[in-house]
Amino acid sequence: MNEHTSTSRRDFLLAGFATAAAVGCSDSTNPFTPEMAVAPSGEKVKLLSVTGEIIEVDKAFLKPVPDVPQLSNAEERKGIPGKKFVMVIDLARCKNLRKCQSACNHMHRVHSGQNWIKVLSMQDGEHTAPYWQPTTCMHCDEPPCVKVCPVDATFKRQDGLVLIDSDRCIGCRFCMAACPYSTRVFNWGDPGVTADVADQHYSCETSMPQKKGTVGKCDFCPDMTRRNELPHCVSACPNGVFFFGDMNEDSVSNGAETFRFSDLIKDKAGYRLMEDLGTKPSVYYLPPVNRNFPYESGL
Amino acid sequence: MKKLHHNILKLLVTLCCFATAGQTANAQSDSVPATKIIRMHYYNVNNSMQYILLESQLKKEKTFTPQANKTYNLYLDSAANLVAMLKTDKDGKAKAFIPPTLKAAWEGSSQHTFIVKEGDEELVSDYVITKSKIDIDTANEDGARVINVSVMKMDNNEWKPAAGVELKVGFERLGGILSAGDEETYTTDSTGTVKVTVTKDSLPGNEKGIITIAARADDNETFGNLLAEKNISWGLPTEINTHFFDQRALWTTRFRTPIWLLAMAYSIVIGVWGTLIYLIFQVIKIRKLGRT
Amino acid sequence: MENITTLTSEQITKDLMPQQFGRNGKIWVAILVLICLIGAYAYYLQLKDGLIVTNMRDYVSWGIYISNFVFFVAISLVGSLITAVFRLANVEWSTPLTRIAEIIAVSAITFASLIIIVDMGRPERLLNLFAYGRIQSPIMWDVIVITTYLFISILLLYIPLLPDLKIMGEQDTKGPKWLKKFYRFLGSFWKGNPAQEKISNKSITILCILIIPVAFCIHTVTSWLFATTYRPGWDSTNFGAYFISGAFLVGAGAVVTAMFVVRKMYSLEKYITEEHFDKMGKIVVLLALLYLYFNVNEYLVPAFKMKKAEEGHLDELFTGQFAPLFWFAILVGMVIPILVLVTKKGRKPLPMFITGIMVVVGAWFKRYLIVTPTLLHPFLPMTNVPENFKHYFPSWEEWAIALGSLSGALLIITFFVRIFPIIPIQETITQQNEKATS
Repeated sequence: MNEHTSTSRRDFLLAGFATAAAVGCSDSTNPFTPEMAVAPSGEKVKLLSVTGEIIEVDKAFLKPVPDVPQLSNAEERKGIPGKKFVMVIDLARCKNLRKCQSACNHMHRVHSGQNWIKVLSMQDGEHTAPYWQPTTCMHCDEPPCVKVCPVDATFKRQDGLVLIDSDRCIGCRFCMAACPYSTRVFNWGDPGVTADVADQHYSCETSMPQKKGTVGKCDFCPDMTRRNELPHCVSACPNGVFFFGDMNEDSVSNGAETFRFSDLIKDKAGYRLMEDLGTKPSVYYLPPVNRNFPYESGL
Repeated sequence: MKKLHHNILKLLVTLCCFATAGQTANAQSDSVPATKIIRMHYYNVNNSMQYILLESQLKKEKTFTPQANKTYNLYLDSAANLVAMLKTDKDGKAKAFIPPTLKAAWEGSSQHTFIVKEGDEELVSDYVITKSKIDIDTANEDGARVINVSVMKMDNNEWKPAAGVELKVGFERLGGILSAGDEETYTTDSTGTVKVTVTKDSLPGNEKGIITIAARADDNETFGNLLAEKNISWGLPTEINTHFFDQRALWTTRFRTPIWLLAMAYSIVIGVWGTLIYLIFQVIKIRKLGRT
Repeated sequence: MENITTLTSEQITKDLMPQQFGRNGKIWVAILVLICLIGAYAYYLQLKDGLIVTNMRDYVSWGIYISNFVFFVAISLVGSLITAVFRLANVEWSTPLTRIAEIIAVSAITFASLIIIVDMGRPERLLNLFAYGRIQSPIMWDVIVITTYLFISILLLYIPLLPDLKIMGEQDTKGPKWLKKFYRFLGSFWKGNPAQEKISNKSITILCILIIPVAFCIHTVTSWLFATTYRPGWDSTNFGAYFISGAFLVGAGAVVTAMFVVRKMYSLEKYITEEHFDKMGKIVVLLALLYLYFNVNEYLVPAFKMKKAEEGHLDELFTGQFAPLFWFAILVGMVIPILVLVTKKGRKPLPMFITGIMVVVGAWFKRYLIVTPTLLHPFLPMTNVPENFKHYFPSWEEWAIALGSLSGALLIITFFVRIFPIIPIQETITQQNEKATS
């Protein structure tokens, strides 16, 4: 109707919703991608608003998951400005379902038989309690793997992530020897990805496609966080074991629940693995107390 | 505990459909029937933008498989009002905006039924949404910060309070809303409002201390998904510290090698190779001495 | 060495000339070439299918390629010991052994760099090391120092060879024409005039001084590939010294073995005398004791504490699946050689030859024990992986490539002995003349 007159107001509203975050997180996919993360098509579509007005929106938003712009290798190496990603794993909730693992393997096309996420059966001492401990890459702040890489193929970004450039990796496997958490896997043979994936341009942020003779590992799914969504393991876990967030926002979320990170760690006495090694991991664990499931249920 | 309330309309339609080409390939070990499932989600963002998200899945035993590249027709109220022809993506999802052509139909009623058809087959016919709006107001009461959220519904062309709507009220964060108060969720009272006293102080905001308040209803049976947002300067001004990333350390890139390491490496390499180059010249000298 | 003093320069030259392969020599070369070819075929398979042809997997991500690499680096250190240390210390009796030691060093370091390329998942990206090299990584240190050491070793082999090349070029012996040309190309400019000799002597002295720190670097850096990680069994401040002492031992063992073979094949009893064996024997005892000392340090101290992370690793070595190999390496590689060589009878050529082989074989398995058992004892339990990830035994391709590389190194030495005088002719003559006049 009187669309011309109200254009400026609509633009304002659009900007408002476009920067909106996290609608409908009960669904693993967040339907709103922040405006700056979307690759705009430049083409506008007209649509009807709630109040019956006609507004315009970029066609890119018509896709359930709008495409994000393809990043250059240099941008992928720099990371997302202003972020510092952190994960919290609540050991009291894990019963070794390994939905995290299967979702991760599926989404990253990990070579069958290998896993980026492992769920370990832990028992620290003879008379101490057994528990299930999922391990991802710790994305250390003093990463031993990055220290030893001879060609900058694995690197640490300003948002804290440790990623791999499989187009540069020479396959010396020094990083695997250096990692005390045994988090890295190697593509000993053909990674066995389907042709459509194998032909893609390699992205450090999706870690796909995996390549023969190079190293792979958990990447904290930066392609998801760019769209304001949670990593696959977080949304796949039915027990809400994994929390993911931004240390600079002081919050972590498993999709259903969101906590203030500093409070959560303080209240539940969170800790990191192998603190004595000085690797400064970005993954925190909440101790397996007041458990939701007995250890045996995971056997 | 994480409880995912999918108050979603689930429609279990047509049994045993091995018809689709894509599915026949993995039409698995026969006998067990597969069920087509269509999930519908209505979204209202800041009382402006609205759309429908459709999810198409095939349920077999306990596993759900997304149905990619399926085409559906979405109608508003009756088969006369086509909203969109949808084609699902690889995750079995499709999104539809309501086109301006349906303005009259949309404004004509306070409740709308969305109908999904695959060809002539009606898969969804009872997904009903009541028009609603959601607003955020902030206040300072006796030094305490308060967020008031009101939800109104359309009833006989009038906005009336919507009671009993479960909302998350808090601050927008990566992956979720961090509740501003002590409760995980709040429910609107008879006036259609919730009042949340902010207990989480000094949360980091942007460099000016701006932080986004959000109120959200997830898959409400009557209203669908509602979201309202408001920027406010309640946050702690936070400078992003890039010093950590910019330092010279053993884990940085080759462009940020520690100076001491560079000095050691270069002095050794230059010292040793300098001597070696000198020695090569000595060999050349021996050669020259032999020639003359 | 009285018998040498009676020899004329002509006699020495004739004795020390390289000789054509006999029947045994030809069989020896044929066998080595065959093993190399099998290794090359195995490497072709690896290039085609990737490292999947090996039995290395995510936990044991370094296997016998790396232990073989460490072995080669270790053995190459002998060049600096026999040549440089002895020369600087004015140890005259070592003259006939210097070139043997140097060629062992050159061939070993060549194959060390080849075998490390074999271990790479992406050998075609080797140049990334230069395009994107990152000096923080100990691998870069190793790349630099190996290149440097190879270069110094070649120079140290070449400059003292100049006078002999001149002699070779002038000899009108039978032999292919290209070989003559080759000698002339390499050394025809050597006139032996005082100016040349002065420069040459000075250069050799500089090289001898230079090679010692570089040699220490090369093996210390190699040990740091392990010691800079957190893993039990590698996380040790003792590692540099431990590796260097082991390297000197295996190098000396290799020289003993080689000098026995060369002496036998070329009938050089007059030049490599029993006295040489006797002295080398004493050196081997000293080095073996030194290595044993570092071994005690390396195992006793952690075993005394038995930290949890170390416990599984040490138990496997002392009494577990690696125990036979571990005690074999200790006994055969160190203890028995010490016991044999402390006796005068033990330092006769034949027992020396046998203990030399024992030292070398023991050392090879020792390197395997340093690399693999540690990787089988990570900090976190090995779960959610296929069963074969939890064990390691090299595949036939790995064996073939490792043996192929060892044969390749032996081939280089063999051909060198065939082409060049393995005992320095000119130096022997000079030394003898000095003795005669004094």
